[in-house]
Amino acid sequence: MTVVETSGLTKRFGNGVLAVDSVEMSVRRGEVYGFLGPNGAGKTTTLRMLMGLIRPTSGTATVAGHAPGDPAGLAKIGALVEAPGFYPYLSGRENLRVIADYAGVDQKRVAEVLDIVELTSRAGRKFGSYSTGMKQRLGVAAALLKDPELLILDEPTSGLDPQGMAEMRKLIKQIGQGNRTVLLSSHLLPEVEQICDRVGVIRGGKLVTESTVQELLGKEGILVKAEPVDRAYEMLKSMFGDALVSRQNGSIRLETDPAGSLEVNSRLMAAGIAVSELRPVERSLEEAFFQLTGEKQGS
Amino acid sequence: MIASIKAEWRKNRMRPAFLVAAGLMAGVVALIYSLDWYQALHPVGADRAVTLAMLYPDQFVNNIMAAGFPLGAAVAVVLGALVAGSEYAWSTLKTTLIQRPGRLSTLGGRFVVLAAWMGILTAVLFAGGAAYSAVVALFEGHSIVWPAVFDIAKGIGAIWLVLAVSGSLGMALGILFRQSAAALGVGLIYLTVLQLIAVRFITTFNGGTYKWITNWFDGQNASALLSSFTSPVFGHAAAPTIGAQQAVLVLVAYVAFFVVVSASLLRQRDVT
Repeated sequence: MTVVETSGLTKRFGNGVLAVDSVEMSVRRGEVYGFLGPNGAGKTTTLRMLMGLIRPTSGTATVAGHAPGDPAGLAKIGALVEAPGFYPYLSGRENLRVIADYAGVDQKRVAEVLDIVELTSRAGRKFGSYSTGMKQRLGVAAALLKDPELLILDEPTSGLDPQGMAEMRKLIKQIGQGNRTVLLSSHLLPEVEQICDRVGVIRGGKLVTESTVQELLGKEGILVKAEPVDRAYEMLKSMFGDALVSRQNGSIRLETDPAGSLEVNSRLMAAGIAVSELRPVERSLEEAFFQLTGEKQGS
Repeated sequence: MIASIKAEWRKNRMRPAFLVAAGLMAGVVALIYSLDWYQALHPVGADRAVTLAMLYPDQFVNNIMAAGFPLGAAVAVVLGALVAGSEYAWSTLKTTLIQRPGRLSTLGGRFVVLAAWMGILTAVLFAGGAAYSAVVALFEGHSIVWPAVFDIAKGIGAIWLVLAVSGSLGMALGILFRQSAAALGVGLIYLTVLQLIAVRFITTFNGGTYKWITNWFDGQNASALLSSFTSPVFGHAAAPTIGAQQAVLVLVAYVAFFVVVSASLLRQRDVT
């Protein structure tokens, strides 16, 4: 069953910029869905459309069973869209109380969510004095106030130091357990790889793929380092066929089950080829991402 | 809308801008009374008895009217602009709009609380005026006689309406410009300069043929409403061109207009 479903969702801004182009997106109940794309790809605009903050130029979306922005749907959704926005002259706790009033949530819930994000001891301080990490945590706390079926988090680790990022990932994993659906937007590949069940990759406003992380990574293979490398390459091609063998920076990559490593090793050794390294490999999400988005690694 | 009102009140009840405005209003009343009292005690060609008579409790409603426009109105424009404009600067608009209430309900709650604060500021003006006038009477050995409750209520209603017009103007400008700085700048210029220039131009243009248009400006109606309270003690300068009843209707129409403009802008535009 899907919690978020879009069809031909498109947004062209007044200045003619096509920010989102016919996005067909489907987020299933209970999963942690990674919405992946480089900066400016259209992630935040898509999320804003899902929350009813921006009206689509064309296309439709259903979020938690309702049209975007419908109060009945918003009652089931918690969201942190871009940087958390709170009143700087109020304390963290008072800010959450204001949000709880808007959301029609019992004030008792404020203490609960402060506990979840481990901010209780600093909840009395003014929001304006919070560090970036504390602001992000308060944003997540606000998103959790409604105990939402669907949690939308837009770049929740943005601006955090490595420790803060690790803590935030742990928190997202924790709150994504059970039946809750989490839609996590990020441009950080390790984040998505570690947390998400499925991913959608957006590039230039278009959703270029939507699959499980495993599908996106592709099947595992074997990396072989051997001397002489040309002889090893020819031999392995004869064993597995041209399509499954490729050369990679002086090594040879086989697109085959790593369980066959032993046989590969013994055949090469029997042919007098010295094997210095033989290990299972998988395509990193980074490689898959750059391949899909057409961007150059390290650029 | 109850949820929005509760939330708006919670966030604005101790908002520094409102507290400063309340202090400013009280300070202005104290300053005006102090200067008038000093002048009454050190007259330069004026009748001391009449001048002091202006400061006694039975006249305090009339005195407070002077603080309503343009000073009170200017404060209200600033507050309205801050209430609406800072929601964009702090990115809190998106935070509120993704909660349960819809956009119009959120705006409704915001306007109700802004109007409530205009009432509080009006109460501060009246409490300050009443207190200071009682102090003057006690010092001068004059008996304390308060105006009729109905007159006080009318005065409170008039000032509140004038502040509500300016507050809702500030709110509409805050939403229009999506920030408070431009909103309060334009609002103050409109209130204190632009309107006066327009009125002067229209009054003299083509021999005053279109002077009737000036009777529909909010500033003209606010001034007319507040001056309708002028006590016979001071004497009426001239017959008013705008009656109090028309002024009330026009000002109510302005409030409704500004609220509708705010609602249309908030409902139609993307929150980016």
